Amino acid sequence: MQIFKQPDFNFMKYKFLALSLSGILIIIGIVNITSGKGLNQGIDFAGGSLIQIRFRNAFPISELRQTLKDTGLSPKIQEVGKGEQEFLIRTMLPEEEADQELEAHLIMATRIVDSLTTNEDRAATENGLKDLNNIDINVLTQILKTSFPDEAQEIAKKIIGARESAEFKGIIKDFDQLIDKGISRDTTENLKKTTFLGSLTVKRRETVGPQVGYDLGRKAKQATVWALIGMLIYIGIRFKLAYGVAAILTLVHDVLITLGIFSFTNREINLPVIAGILTIVGYSLNDTIVIFDRVRDNIKLFRKYEFEKILDKSINQTLSRTVITSSTTFLTVLALFLFGGEVINDFAFTMIIGVLIGTYSSIFQSCPLLLFWNKIFKPKKGMGK
Amino acid sequence: MKKNLLWRAILVGFVIILAVILFYPPKDKIHYGLDLKGGMHLVLQVVTDDAVKSETNRIINIIRDELKEKNIEYETIPPGEIGEFSIQNFDPDKEGELKELLDDFKDWNYSITGNSASFSIESGAAMYYREQSVKQAIETLWNRVDEIGLTEPTIQRQGGYGTDRIIVELPGVENPEWVKKIIKTTAFLEWRLVKAGPASDMETLLKDFEGKAPDDMEVMRGDPKRTQGGYYLLDRVAHVTGNDLRDARPSTDRWNKPAVAFRFSPEAGKRFYKLTSENLNKPLAIILDQKVQEVATIESRISDTGIITGTFTAEEVEDIALVLKAGALPAAIKYLEERTIGPSLGADSIRRGLFSIGAALILILLFMVFYYRLSGINAVIALLLNIIILLGTLSYFKASLTLPGMAGIILTIGMAVDANVLVFERIREELATGKSILSSISAGFSRAFKTILDANVTTIIAAIFLFQFGTGPIKGFAITLIIGITASMFTAVFVSRLIFDLTLSKRKKREKLSI
Repeated sequence: MQIFKQPDFNFMKYKFLALSLSGILIIIGIVNITSGKGLNQGIDFAGGSLIQIRFRNAFPISELRQTLKDTGLSPKIQEVGKGEQEFLIRTMLPEEEADQELEAHLIMATRIVDSLTTNEDRAATENGLKDLNNIDINVLTQILKTSFPDEAQEIAKKIIGARESAEFKGIIKDFDQLIDKGISRDTTENLKKTTFLGSLTVKRRETVGPQVGYDLGRKAKQATVWALIGMLIYIGIRFKLAYGVAAILTLVHDVLITLGIFSFTNREINLPVIAGILTIVGYSLNDTIVIFDRVRDNIKLFRKYEFEKILDKSINQTLSRTVITSSTTFLTVLALFLFGGEVINDFAFTMIIGVLIGTYSSIFQSCPLLLFWNKIFKPKKGMGK
Repeated sequence: MKKNLLWRAILVGFVIILAVILFYPPKDKIHYGLDLKGGMHLVLQVVTDDAVKSETNRIINIIRDELKEKNIEYETIPPGEIGEFSIQNFDPDKEGELKELLDDFKDWNYSITGNSASFSIESGAAMYYREQSVKQAIETLWNRVDEIGLTEPTIQRQGGYGTDRIIVELPGVENPEWVKKIIKTTAFLEWRLVKAGPASDMETLLKDFEGKAPDDMEVMRGDPKRTQGGYYLLDRVAHVTGNDLRDARPSTDRWNKPAVAFRFSPEAGKRFYKLTSENLNKPLAIILDQKVQEVATIESRISDTGIITGTFTAEEVEDIALVLKAGALPAAIKYLEERTIGPSLGADSIRRGLFSIGAALILILLFMVFYYRLSGINAVIALLLNIIILLGTLSYFKASLTLPGMAGIILTIGMAVDANVLVFERIREELATGKSILSSISAGFSRAFKTILDANVTTIIAAIFLFQFGTGPIKGFAITLIIGITASMFTAVFVSRLIFDLTLSKRKKREKLSI
């Protein structure tokens, strides 16, 4: 199969349109970042806590919000999956206190979990019962040993295994569920006397202090800038400075537009997103280089051609490849976006935007930029190497 | 079969077998990162200022003793900024003697103005104490983690020499809050003589001392959990400390209440014997981390064993014994970052990660076969081989597979076929110019290689910087991407070519290439 038999599109015709479109997008993005909605920095950079909680019973998000509000807390809450059972809660200290030590953030996080713990849970704990939804395998084995000395370890393993399975997702709803999972009625009755089913479990808890956040932010910027410089040098050596500059400007374009989209969608910038942006930088450049590589060859082959025509020819020749590779990469990041779960979701989202922008920019940004360089500087030795 | 073809086939076979041996069985060979198996990731900062401060205090005590011995009078020796102190209003007639004495302290610079001498620590010496405190902290943390009995912990310095940060990674921690408390406790235990107190406020405490603690004494508060709180006036210098302990274990006192039993080293035992002999019927305080835990009257001469009582619970006694046995931290530590992942989330991430990889693989497989027909199968074989090499290399380097690492594998799947696509598109172009199949293949591979190299090197450059910058999980992503893309150059170029050569050599005259 072949998508394009002998493509002969006149891409360069749209150079001004593309450049102004991108220019406008970048400017709108920058304006929105600097004086509009800004960038929604996650706890990785701003400092704060992220808590992922799963409740035993459905807990409508509005009720959850109210419960936390009653104790004087108003964190950001986001539902995970369906069924109003699992939530991501993000707390940050108000700006004037943001430079507090990590302890302050930890206390906030603890307060959140405490305020959601029910009185029944507290009473049960005070009566010496252990929470089966938060118990670890060793303690459970010890408890079971008193009644089932021989099989204690096996039963404990089965129960914990069931709790962590895809079906239970970390929480046991009622004791009958255990019977369905092959735990004997006898054992279950026994567990009812020694344990209780807590109303929530904390699946993840991350707290980043302001100092680390500041450092991470600085490092992320440094890594991006150095990666760009490294690439400029590599392309400068393998091609020519002009190609390097055009490629880097294209990448800057990709990064700025991506950040702009993050600003408008209010998506959080965190470590995985930065990893995504750096990957886009690599990916987009990959695309650009394939085209530049053709340009380099075609300059030798078609000495009489105008530079603009050479650019068009090169884009057309590599068009199939550009489209296919973009599609395969897009398909894989789409799979990650759809099935990867909330932990990797931000990264996948970044990549999806990145693949689209990277493909567009390698055709409509890098080549016009190269053309302008040629027109402005009129290199004596031409654009070939 | 041509000889050179045979050798190439053997090389590829060897690589496959090696990779499979390296990662098989995957359950034992592939190490999951903390985000997949659950556990705790902590970044700590050693307050290295403490080390310099305690060295300053040590020197002040020595100087105070020597001044006393040489009968040089002075007003006070207050500590100043970190690594600084001064002797105020010394007897001007003895300046010569003083200078002679001070010249012995090589680590300290001093200057005399009027009849005060101000000191500051040499920067090299300060560095040394800071460095030592971080090293000692790491050692103590290892001891504590061992005492707790955690499996596969890693404790390392962040960024190497000269930093004050330590990364602690503890997989499978069941009780994160408790572990955090144990790790953070400084656990500096001291025995000091009590000069006055307890008193409810400073004024009452110091009424016999003209409202100011004498130079060789210090005011400390009682631990509100153990004592009635209040203030104590204590000797500034501890007579014995936790460093002198040989052993500590949970025990009970004579009323069967929880207590910590301890034993001193023989040398410290002698010091303790001397102290108790000289101060019979006087009060002695036991201080943990600058808080008075217990004050007891010395009833008899004690040499090497004893117990610490107080109103401890059984759990507290266990914890104190544990930290005392593992040793004190040389300086306080602060938490800078803490990430705890529960086992259910980790298990969930593994499931989702594997599912996404499978989905991506099938999508690409279908796409490639649909688009390139039999040559697409060639590309898919190369891709599968790429993943095998990737897993083998990960196992060989004992690199942890993280969730972003899995994302890296997925991205590799998408990007590794790019090399194949580049080659195939070139072959199609060559075929279109009317070349024969074999020469088209040959030209396609050789022309595309330069492009593949340039395009992949730049992606690898980005990944290397990402590796430099990233923390654990992100590093995992960078590693898989680097390995995957490097491997793709081998599989998509070398192996794919081999497959073409093998399949085409059988039937010499082929009219059409399935591409």
